[in-house]
Amino acid sequence: MAISCSYYLEPVDTRDLPGRFLEAFAAILAHSSYAPVLDAAARAGARCGRCTVACPVHQASGEARDIPCNRTELVLAVYRRYFTLGGMVRARLGNAFTLDEGHISRMAEDLYRCTACRRCKLECPFGIDHGLITHFGRWVLAEVGIIPKALRVAVREQLEGKTHNTSAIPAAALRDTCAFLEEDCRDTHAIDVRFPIDEQGAEFVFFPAVSDYLLEPDTLTGNAAVLTATGASWTIGSQYFDGINYGLFYSDRMLDRIVSLEAAELKRLGARRILIGECGHASRAAKAFVKTFCGGRDAPEVVNIMEYTADVLRRGLLHLRPGTIEERVTYHDPCNIARSGWIVEQPREILRTICSDFVDMTPKGRENYCCGGGGGSVSIDEIRPFRTKVGGAAKAEQIRRTGATTVVAPCANCKKQLREVCDDNGLGHVKVVGLHDLVLLAIDAPASMRVAAGPKEGA
Amino acid sequence: MLTFKHGTIEIVVDEDGFMQEPEKWNEDVAKALATTEGVEELTPDHWKLVHYLRNYFLQFGVAPMIRKLCKETGFDLKKVYALFPSGPAKGACKVAGLAKPTGCV
Repeated sequence: MAISCSYYLEPVDTRDLPGRFLEAFAAILAHSSYAPVLDAAARAGARCGRCTVACPVHQASGEARDIPCNRTELVLAVYRRYFTLGGMVRARLGNAFTLDEGHISRMAEDLYRCTACRRCKLECPFGIDHGLITHFGRWVLAEVGIIPKALRVAVREQLEGKTHNTSAIPAAALRDTCAFLEEDCRDTHAIDVRFPIDEQGAEFVFFPAVSDYLLEPDTLTGNAAVLTATGASWTIGSQYFDGINYGLFYSDRMLDRIVSLEAAELKRLGARRILIGECGHASRAAKAFVKTFCGGRDAPEVVNIMEYTADVLRRGLLHLRPGTIEERVTYHDPCNIARSGWIVEQPREILRTICSDFVDMTPKGRENYCCGGGGGSVSIDEIRPFRTKVGGAAKAEQIRRTGATTVVAPCANCKKQLREVCDDNGLGHVKVVGLHDLVLLAIDAPASMRVAAGPKEGA
Repeated sequence: MLTFKHGTIEIVVDEDGFMQEPEKWNEDVAKALATTEGVEELTPDHWKLVHYLRNYFLQFGVAPMIRKLCKETGFDLKKVYALFPSGPAKGACKVAGLAKPTGCV
């Protein structure tokens, strides 16, 4: 029997799959801190269903398997039977749950219907973090070779490929793109921005979602404009320049190896702080796990570009023209930076400054709805109808209600997903942009950055 | 391993029909791949886009930033979608023999 699920898989070795799954489960429990998490969840095990009202996937699909505590139960059933005394005793008495390929197949499908938005955690009276348990289950699946191909191929290139990034961009192409962006900004906005590469001893090394170098010229140029205008000491590293970390979605082992690449590039360049671009999961992966895996108290500090921009705006170092953006704008909170309350107000401060018609969605901030493409699912093209019509249904309705024509989504994952959500839900007139795309339009650049009008040749 | 056959053309592709061996690309392969994108005939504008992508790929090993593609071919995004309905990454790049873009693309 082969594993069947709705995303592409590389060939899975199915010999003694349940046995190998249990071996991986045991190894992870032995070498991590997940055992107490599973133990507490297994003891509570109430399945009261309060989470049904929190989960946007369940709200749209109506399917029982999409209720967060049912999803958690898939993992806990294995834990109880094979890793608790009671489970082992009950198995001797007969009629116990037995792990088989069918159960593994179900986990492969159902754990990837979750977008890891962790909204359900807000509702659970037992404090069970269903997102964490789904993450654990995905990690065990990954150890037996069950990983969506889109994630696996990207991480393989990032860790073992020639380019060391998820979009396979060679360093020469990065340099070409940065030079193009500098030129394009002069032509379009008549300001000089710089994309410094490999400058030793800079304060920040900048890691955006690497896909921005293919898709998001205005986000990147806006980032560079703020940094240039405020005299920041920053650089891009040519040996490692990708903020993306799909390890956050399926494997702590990969998560560790990927954040370690960021820390190593910082060390190579003699830099002090990690600056993450507009990307939710890249920010959370670095913020939460550089400390865990790269030096504890001595680990470098992690800053998101929106924190930086809000800070220089408050301190009067950055000048933005109030009311530059006149159309109605709303803001989408990426789950990975908003659920914890880390980045909620900073982007709104910036938007209220530059937009004359800013409206919020309801709910928002820590209680926001996911774009529907979280947890790595946005990279899986083959599940687009599920992502946009089920996972993104609540978000589409929220956007519609604001009447906004521009949605600011400061995250590469959310942006890609929301463009598809808008296209597939009759919101084709809505533009989805990054925060710094708008900052770029509103920046009142210092004279030193302004390019004189008219042809430059002559002299 | 999946293969795509069209007339005398036979190439190895992934699940979405992207070439797995980009070095085997030639104009006849491009014509064959274009049929999978609903493009029956490659006009001079199609070729301009395909050759630009192909040459950039040969020089840099990856597709160019989409804005650079637009600026250097003189085609806006709307025109690119008119030529290749699945868009620059999934349509034009496929016909130009590039591998499927990975990551958040």
